[in-house]
Amino acid sequence: MSQVSKFLRNLLFFLIIVVIVDSLLGYSLQTIYFSQKKGQFAQTTYSVDSTHQDVLIFGSSRAVRHYSPSIISKALHLSCYNVGRDGQMIPYYAALQETIFKRYKPKLVILDINPWELSPGEEKYEKLSILFPYCRQHPELTSYMSNSSSPWEKYKLLSRTYPYNSSLFILGYNTIFAGKVQEDDNGYVPLPGQMSQAALNDYNERVKNSSENEGDESTVIDERALAYYEQFLRNTDKANIKTYVVISPMPLKQATNYNIRKFMQVASKFRNVTFLNYSIDPKYNYQYAKFADIFHLNKQGSEEFTNDLIQQIK
Amino acid sequence: MLFNSIDFVFFFIIVTTGYFLLPQKYRWILLLAASCYFYMAFVPVYILILGFTIVIDYFAGIYIEKTEGKNRKLLLICSLIANIGVLVVFKYYNFLNESFGYVLNDMGYKNPIPYLSILLPIGLSFHTFQAMSYTIEVYRGNQKAEKHFGIYSLYVMFYPQLVAGPIERPQNILHQMHEEHKFDYARVVSGLQLMLWGFFKKLVVADRLSIYVNSVYSHPDLHNGSSVAIASFFFAVQIYCDFSGYSDMAIGCARVMGFDLMINFRRPYFAKSISEFWGRWHISLSTWFRDYLYIPLGGNRVARYRVYLNLMVVFIVSGIWHGANYTFIVWGILHGFYTLSGTIFKPYGQQLAESSGINQKVLNVFNILFNLLIVTFAWIFFRAATIGDAFSLIRNLKSIGAAPFTGDGISNMAHCILAILLLFIIEYKMEYLSEKFNLITDNRIWVRWGSTIAFLFIILLFGVFSGGQFIYFQF
Repeated sequence: MSQVSKFLRNLLFFLIIVVIVDSLLGYSLQTIYFSQKKGQFAQTTYSVDSTHQDVLIFGSSRAVRHYSPSIISKALHLSCYNVGRDGQMIPYYAALQETIFKRYKPKLVILDINPWELSPGEEKYEKLSILFPYCRQHPELTSYMSNSSSPWEKYKLLSRTYPYNSSLFILGYNTIFAGKVQEDDNGYVPLPGQMSQAALNDYNERVKNSSENEGDESTVIDERALAYYEQFLRNTDKANIKTYVVISPMPLKQATNYNIRKFMQVASKFRNVTFLNYSIDPKYNYQYAKFADIFHLNKQGSEEFTNDLIQQIK
Repeated sequence: MLFNSIDFVFFFIIVTTGYFLLPQKYRWILLLAASCYFYMAFVPVYILILGFTIVIDYFAGIYIEKTEGKNRKLLLICSLIANIGVLVVFKYYNFLNESFGYVLNDMGYKNPIPYLSILLPIGLSFHTFQAMSYTIEVYRGNQKAEKHFGIYSLYVMFYPQLVAGPIERPQNILHQMHEEHKFDYARVVSGLQLMLWGFFKKLVVADRLSIYVNSVYSHPDLHNGSSVAIASFFFAVQIYCDFSGYSDMAIGCARVMGFDLMINFRRPYFAKSISEFWGRWHISLSTWFRDYLYIPLGGNRVARYRVYLNLMVVFIVSGIWHGANYTFIVWGILHGFYTLSGTIFKPYGQQLAESSGINQKVLNVFNILFNLLIVTFAWIFFRAATIGDAFSLIRNLKSIGAAPFTGDGISNMAHCILAILLLFIIEYKMEYLSEKFNLITDNRIWVRWGSTIAFLFIILLFGVFSGGQFIYFQF
């Protein structure tokens, strides 16, 4: 047999084995992934497939840590769920909204946003990969993927293993140490502890010295992210859903920069949207005891903030 | 076109299949066309710059060979000026102009020289240095001038090593372009395995670590000492895996088609001294500087102080080669300083080790770790966007020990640690146990295939597939 024939024959066998392993491994991972009862994956699966609540809270880790659905439910007499996800930004909220709105329309939406979400960069699109496991069941999500990091993304999804890329550690941990995984309260995962004054001072000092402060007035923004933000608000407008766009509290006073003004400007186009900015609220600024770290309120701070927000919504 | 893209997979399959299907006399046409396409996938117009240097050096080579006496040297100088001129215009013009502007500004004048609005042609320093090595070797009489314009163009443009090396010498590669390479099963498999190893380094290690490194280095003032230390160590590993991963893919890709490219890395972080590090890191560049700069400056055959001066010059030029930024110059100076200190204090170190009776293995581990520490420190300057950023990061190191930033959560950090651990185990085996546990080349087919498939799925499950650019492309 010639060397070429030998190579082609072996290559064919090799590829067949790869496809078989891919299917078996992918199926196993899919089974483990969708049988999660607690943790981020379980919360996202619930958000995508099972939410039915009257109030939905969208956002990043700051949404997950800052809004208590049980307080909101009690005060408004409406069911509520927090569909926020750690590390995510505007494209994720838009993708998730589209999938949820295909199933049902909530009565009220809270969108927690951060000023840095309009900064240019591909990171926010690359992070959409956490939605890969849902793409087979929800093909509309694929359009967000192919718009994002690579035009080949939908072809990569032909692999059954690839959707679980980078999720093995969390899957393993949540499966092996299921008892240690923190239970969420309708998607809300408050942070314990409190930030020290020294940590706040150190952070304040570093921000003051930061050359990035000069860039606060930068008008270079990610137009695609802005379009997704507008799309999100338009969808709630079309469905006649009362919507609150909120910048939740921050340990340092946040200057109203170009990004924030842009958020406000887009929000003002829609009559159903109210924009609330707590990042300049002296009740929270420099109140280190209300924060767990430089980005997040702690449990006490988030409950206080949720109650404050309810006063605005009522 | 990036090696770590699906586009490249299709490109590679088509070109390689075509290569083996075509008769030998037409293969150079296919490879040259493929190399042009590969290069033009970045910024098409810059192929004209390559064309310019190719034409100059092709004719320079022929005329240098034909000419005798002073004119021979003149032709070489013309060729070198043309090559260095292209580098200066496209890579250093704005940097030099900016520096000149600062000086004028300090004297109260405005800089009248305009800035050029140009992008740096990808891999410019690599193919320029490769082209220069050709004319120098022809001048020295070590290489016959290439008469075939197409083959000479392919020497400069051969796509596997066009944009990030290895920087080849004509004696090694030019003759291979005339030879017929038959399909060799063992070579093809070995080349593909090397490419797979390169993909692992790039996708599982380098691109994973880059997530943390970028978070810290893009906000140099905001991170504490622990985060800076972790990010700097991660960058040391990232840049090694990014660049050596590229080299492995390039060498593997060329090997599949029957070409032997020079080895560019030999596990540099196992080096026990800085001079050993430079014998293992970016070998094609360090030997280039040795052969075409250090030795012509006098090398080791001059007075001691001149040797030190020559070393310093080489490292500063090496820094400048990497980029038009003061950060690279400081990086070069630091390595020059390390090398000089190593050379000067080597005898004292040996005496101290002997008199203290310290175990050799312990001493080796200490030397490896110390070397890694000082190399990592120098990488801070290499990675920082500005000198100011580098000093901010170094200043922040004083708060080392504080809780580090964990990025998007502990999962990414766990991936980083796993990637480094896997890399360490494999590299340790390669360095110290080269005859044992050769799973991918085992005689038993099930071990060989099983380990290859396991490796493939490690890449699929733990790799970062967002198509990150290779760091060295910018040079």
